[in-house]
Order: sequence, then C-alpha cells, then structure tokens
Amino acid sequence: MSEMLEIILDTTGRMFKDYSTQELLESAEQGEWAEELWQVLAESGILHVGIAEELDGAGGDHIDAYNILRLAGKYAVPLPIAETLIAQWLLAEQGVKPSTVPLSISFENEQEFMIDDLGDRFIVNGKAVYVPWARHAKQLLTLGKLNNESVMVLLPLDKAIIEQGANLASEPRDTVIFENFEITALSCFPVNKNEMVNRVYEMGALARSAKMAGAMEQILELTVFYTNERKQFGRPLHRFQAIQHHLSALTGETVASLAALNFAIHENSTKEIALTKMKLSGAAGKIAEISHQVHGAIGVTHEHTLHHYTRRLWSWRDEFGNERYWGSKLADHLMKNNGETLWEFISAGREANLVYGGEK
Amino acid sequence: MINLDLPVVQFTREQEEFRQEVREFLAEEKKKGTFETKCDSWLSGDSPEFSKKLGEKGWIGMTWPKKYGGGERNALDRYILTEELLAAGAPVSAHWFADRQSGPLLLKFGTEEQKEYFLPRIARGDTYFAIGLSEPNSGSDLASLSIRAERTDGGWILNGSKIWSSGAHIAHYMIVLCRTSKLDPNNRHAGLSQFIADLKAPGVTIRPIKFLTGEHHFNEVFFDNVFIPDNRVIGEIGNGWKQGMTELAYERSGPERILSTFPLLEELIRILRENGDYRGMQEAVELLPQLWSMRNMSIGVAKYLDDGVDVNIIAALVKDMGTIFEKNIAEKARLIISRHPSVLSTDIYERFMAQSILHGPGFTLRGGTTEILRGIVAKGVVAG
Repeated sequence: MSEMLEIILDTTGRMFKDYSTQELLESAEQGEWAEELWQVLAESGILHVGIAEELDGAGGDHIDAYNILRLAGKYAVPLPIAETLIAQWLLAEQGVKPSTVPLSISFENEQEFMIDDLGDRFIVNGKAVYVPWARHAKQLLTLGKLNNESVMVLLPLDKAIIEQGANLASEPRDTVIFENFEITALSCFPVNKNEMVNRVYEMGALARSAKMAGAMEQILELTVFYTNERKQFGRPLHRFQAIQHHLSALTGETVASLAALNFAIHENSTKEIALTKMKLSGAAGKIAEISHQVHGAIGVTHEHTLHHYTRRLWSWRDEFGNERYWGSKLADHLMKNNGETLWEFISAGREANLVYGGEK
Repeated sequence: MINLDLPVVQFTREQEEFRQEVREFLAEEKKKGTFETKCDSWLSGDSPEFSKKLGEKGWIGMTWPKKYGGGERNALDRYILTEELLAAGAPVSAHWFADRQSGPLLLKFGTEEQKEYFLPRIARGDTYFAIGLSEPNSGSDLASLSIRAERTDGGWILNGSKIWSSGAHIAHYMIVLCRTSKLDPNNRHAGLSQFIADLKAPGVTIRPIKFLTGEHHFNEVFFDNVFIPDNRVIGEIGNGWKQGMTELAYERSGPERILSTFPLLEELIRILRENGDYRGMQEAVELLPQLWSMRNMSIGVAKYLDDGVDVNIIAALVKDMGTIFEKNIAEKARLIISRHPSVLSTDIYERFMAQSILHGPGFTLRGGTTEILRGIVAKGVVAG
C-alpha cells in the first residue's frame, strides 16, 4: 500500500467512524438522508476519486476508491458512495465532468427505458427495479433505447415515480417508473448494451465485495470484543474451545476474503472479480451465521450493532451477481476447449483474462 | 486486531518465464515416463532419481546462498517451483522435508560446519531429512515429549523414540527435538534442544508403520543410547522449542496444504469439458474461489516469510482451511462424476479419487491438527 493511500484511508476511516454512528444508521433506516455526511464527503473529494484531475476529478485510482469502499462497508455508511463513484467513472469516460449530487445506477439486460426523440423534446417510458438509493439520488445512469439504438442515459429522478423498496439491511432499493415523462435535454451516449451490463456488473461486484470485506472486518472486531467481555461459567467466552473454533473460522474467512479482494482490486479483470465475488458472497453467509451464534441472544436485538453488518452481508452477497452468476462466467470459460488446463487458468498472471459468452 | 491483509504478489515476467521452464521440464519428464501424476505426491511419492534430477537443475535449496550449493533465488521463485511440482503430482517426497524446513532451519541456527556439510548435499538431491517432532505419547501436546539426551564426553546420548516420521526409512538424517534438562512443569518449553541424528548410526531402529492403504510412508524411529557428537547440536542447547516453532511456519503455509488433491480437480474439469457437461462444470467451479483465495494467502505468507515477518497465525489459517479444501475436492467430485474409486483402477480419475479419499484423513492431522491450529488462531486474534 502506498503511503499516500495509507493517509487517505486513515483520514477517511476516522471520518466514517465519527459520522456513521449507531444513531445515523437508525435514522437512515427510518428513511432519512444523511445530508451532513454527504456534504463532508463532497468536500473531501472522496466522491471524485478515480477521476482524472484534468476532468475536475480528485485524481487517485481505482485501488484508492475500492479501499475507500471497504471502509464504507466497515462503518456501514448509509450513502450511495459506490453507485455515485461508478456513475461518475462511466460518465467521465464520456468526457462528463463530475458533480457532487448523489447518483444511482441500473444496468440490467432485461430492462431499458424507451426514449422518443420528438425534435424539441424527449419522451421517456419504462421501469427499473431494485434501484439503489433512487429516492435520494438526483439522477439515474441507466440503459435506454433511442431510435432503436442502445444508449447509456442520465435520467433526472425528481419527476420519476418512485416505489419504495429495501434490501435486508433496509437500504433503499426502489422501483423507478417513467410514464410519458417529457424532458427537453437528455445526455445519451451510444453503447453496446451487453458489454455495458457486463462492465457495470464487474464494477458493482468489486464494489460490493469491498464493502462486504469491510463489514467482515467490523464483525470480526465486534465478535472478538464480545468474547473478551462476556463471561459464562466464570470465564470469558474465548476461553472455550468451541468458541475458539468459531473465532478461528471467522478470522479465516475474513483473511481469505481479503486475500481475494486485494488481488482483484489490483488486477481489476473479469477472472479475479468473478472469483472474488464468489468467495466473498460465500463467506458472507458463514460469517453472519458464526458471528450471530457467538453473540447469542443480544446479537439478534435491534439495540446491538451486529445486525447492521450481518444484514448488509446478506444483502450484498446477492447484489451484482451471486456465486452462481459469476460461477457461470467461469464455467463458460472453462467449457471452451482451448487447450488450457485448469492449473494454467488458476495460475495465469496478469496478462491472462477470462473469455466467456463470446462477448469479451 | 491482528493484521488481516497479506501482501498482493504479482509475479514478474522473469518469474512467469521460470514457471514455463518448470512446466516444460515436467511435461518432458512425464512423457519420458520418469513419473506418473499422483495425488499427495509430496508425502507419498518418493523417487531418489527424480530428486537428483531436481538437484541437478538447481531446484532444491534454490533460495540458499551459493556457497552452500543454493541458487540465491527468492522465495517466490521457489513458490512457483513447488506449486508446479504439486499441480503436476510429481514424486518429490524424498527431498521435500529437507528442502522445506530442515535446510532453512540449519541456515538459520546451524554452525558454519553444519551448513557447509549438509546444505550442498541436500541441494544435490542426495541427502534427505526426516522431521523429528511427534512422539508416541505426545501428539498434539508436543511439549510433553519424553525423548531425552544426557551429556557425555564430546556429545550427548539420546534415548527415546519419534513417531509418524514420514520417509524416515529413506532419509539419512532426522532433526530430533528432545529434552536436555529435567522437565519444569511451570515452563514446559524450556530445556528442549535440537540435534541432527544420523539415521544409520548404531542404536537407531526404524520400524515401518503401514498407512491405512497398506502403503509405507511413516515410521516409528527408536533411539537406543545413540551418540550425538557436539557438532551435531543445532543452535543453542535449551532453545529447541523456539527453533522448532520456526520450522512450523514453513511447514504449514506452503502450497502443499492446498494442492495435495489438485490432480483430481484438474482431471474432473478435463472430463466435464470433454463431455460437454455444463451442469457439472457449474458445480465444479464452486471450488475455485476457495482454491484461488487460499493460493493468494499462501503466496502472501511466502512473501512475508521472505521479509522476516512473523506469520504463525496466518500459516495456521492456511493449513486449517487449505487442508479442508483438499478434502472437499473429493467430496464434490464424487457427486459430480459418479465412479467407483480404486487405487488399482486403470482410469486415472478413479485412481486420483481413491488416493484423495484414502489420504484425506491425514491432511487435517499432519503438521498440526485442525483443532490445535484453530486454538493458535483464536488465541492470536484475541491477544490482538
């Protein structure tokens, strides 16, 4: 880790820790928007990490950004940082300068908004489901169809119909509906739809993996703390061998998850992202299960903080592709008889990448 | 909280070229019929001829100083070599322990004379070492060992026995951890020392212990008034426990804790591809995230070991999780492609399956049981 990154992470970690309190998490769960923290993030430049300074970005690279997301996961920061960053990166590729308003993204193969160009205005129709933070986001970066061509489009959300939904951690996952919505100016960029969906899934999977890794670290800390604090039969819990086995499994799954994540963040290619999302999604369930078992009854109360992290793990493991989704990408690749052995595939260095579905 | 992040290692172009070189060598040797791929070959596949060949290539003790017959290569080069040997299921058990831990131990604690004498012989592939830790009455509770040495003129007299010594019947020496002063119940780790015992010396008896398959890998080794000259003491008298523990980090974190059954997985994937069995492939790939993340961990530990970072806790994790993964391969494979495993089968899938299942129980015992390892991890993480 570079010294610069260490400083950034140190500052960011402290900021997240100070702001993302139990109180803030509760109010976010009640539907309140953490405006003060969002403003702090905007001023700190975190929302513009990974965007070149020439484009008014904050510089830094994706390694910085994913490490920041890991911290956001560690403190369960209830804001669409990942969604805003991904949207900004995709827009920056089109030469669009970043803003500091909250953004959301939705890129699914089976959904796109129909856009009619009437010359002086556009009419938008369509629906997107399970859109993260849509009720608080100002704009949605998504897929559309304009003159029979696939486009990436930035839609304003202030006039959209929003049906509220939530994931297991009560994070907003809303349905966004446009019914004959009229607008005079729209930013549309021609794209290859499949390619776009795959790319956004990769970014999203890595972002969710980073956040899961952070949540896992937090859960391990909480659990170790609890086994020190809590006494039964006259000794602290961690002195019992059955509990030691739980602690070891928790540590192991966390270390292995981080070993996957750190590698994927550095390589940032399909093979590593697929393996990482599978690894972390698989570990998420085990970690949630073990940590609750060790915490006993207090851990299942709303009052205790554990559930903020375990509920996020249970949600994030399915977002941007679960184990089976990414496993299919690996299976597609391995089914191709290109003379490559499994060992060659596993041990391949950074120049190698996944070939699947004929799209990439 | 302990440091949970391991270094991310990206191999250099030169290292990737070295990997190709090893791969081509192995393919060539296999074609020549020098060896047949086998699961768990690092423990059960001994071939002095093959070890000698590796020695000639400079592939034993490759990280050691040149003046002791080493190649002064870095730990990651060695990592590449060992994982390629394991993935190919090559017969490496004869020299494995000397290369992995006895040599490094001598480099760290041995006298100049010991280094000059033993290391070049190990590196040539003609001198093998056995591990001398476990005893009949002290398995996981190593500090309870009872083998002892008494001071005598010019050396020590060793009495007692060691057990589960893999390959002792073909090894030339054993590094014996023994008691050199009376047991102090309040400090059981004190008073232990390490000796290099010549397994051909008078008073040494090696009794084979057949493995459950009937194969002969491990042994019980008896020492009856065996004379150990002073120049065969390793490091300091009384420092044996600490020295012995440094061996364990090497012993627990290597690729052999992940790849013992890899040949079975490779064969499974090959058959699924050949049969166009997409459903089977979908199930088989569920093993890969574990394999890949464990490998990243193990490589990270290799880097840390090279940098002199203390890795005891992470090494214990690699061993615990890696060996469970090794067993999982067979458990998953048998459901994806159902066959009748047999060591006698002419079909390599059935043979690999049999080797994996029958050797499986040992994976999570040898080198520290799962239970002991988890205790180490838990205590480490609680202590922060």
